[in-house]
Amino acid sequence: MSEPLVLELEVKPLDFLAAGETATQFKETLKSLGLPPEICRRAAIVVYEAEMNIVIHGGGGVMRLQVEEDKVTIMAEDEGPGIEDLELAMQEGYSSAPDFIREMGFGAGMGLPNIKRNANELYIDTAPGKGTKLRAVIYLNKGR
Amino acid sequence: MKVKEICEKLGLDVHVQGDLDKEVHQGVVGDLLSFIMRTAPEGAVWVTIQNHVNVAAVAVLKDIPFIVLASEREPLQELIDSCRKENITLTSSKQDAFNLCGRLYELGIKD
Ligand SMILES: Nc1ncnc2c1ncn2[C@@H]1O[C@H](COP(=O)(O)OP(=O)(O)O)[C@@H](O)[C@H]1O
Ligand SMILES: [Mg+2]
Repeated sequence: MSEPLVLELEVKPLDFLAAGETATQFKETLKSLGLPPEICRRAAIVVYEAEMNIVIHGGGGVMRLQVEEDKVTIMAEDEGPGIEDLELAMQEGYSSAPDFIREMGFGAGMGLPNIKRNANELYIDTAPGKGTKLRAVIYLNKGR
Repeated sequence: MKVKEICEKLGLDVHVQGDLDKEVHQGVVGDLLSFIMRTAPEGAVWVTIQNHVNVAAVAVLKDIPFIVLASEREPLQELIDSCRKENITLTSSKQDAFNLCGRLYELGIKD
């Protein structure tokens, strides 16, 4: 695998029927490439949480999966409201999700923490009014 | 224990038959999807009162082959369709999550 494999999918805002499809497709791709199950599982969690954040908070966006010899990179970009206080948003349990979304079991405030636990590197570039860019890297030869 | 034996012993209503011969040794209970994403063991039975299509998405991502909807939730059609497509056994029960988990535990489904 010399050329990195890149897969890009659009994520629609508040489309709960389709939510999870990006994560499912990305996971299928990783599995079919023969990556270790542990890596696939960690990547699935990262993609799912990033996808749900685009669906719920980001007003729709794009997700990209990049697979190279030594690492898997997951990128999520939206042009939504951005995150005002990133330190607060990273805290376990913090969520700005409205009630109807919480009732569906989303909005536990565990998404960004779940991403952090499963990625080796996490970069978030965000500002109010400017949208959010998230990049998470999972190395194939490192543990969590 | 096989999925079909658990269905029989707990008297579950089976809405979608996935792999009924699959062996299940572990379980997880909860309605917060991110919590299930974090904690569910692979191959577990999942007891929940969440009744919408994202339950199937989480099950696929976590390799969960068997869902039990507690407290008389009649599964929504989208959830049924999605479980069928993904070969996930979807069941429901009149019993609440507490009792279902207790009975699963008695059957040897621990952790
Ligand atoms: N893409 C995004 N755009 C805007 N805000 C976001 C985005 N992702 C996360 N947030 C903010 O960070 C908070 C915490 O996110 P997260 O840990 O995933 O929890 P949850 O999604 O359950 O609320 C969200 O409630 C929201 O306020
Ligand atoms: Mg989230």
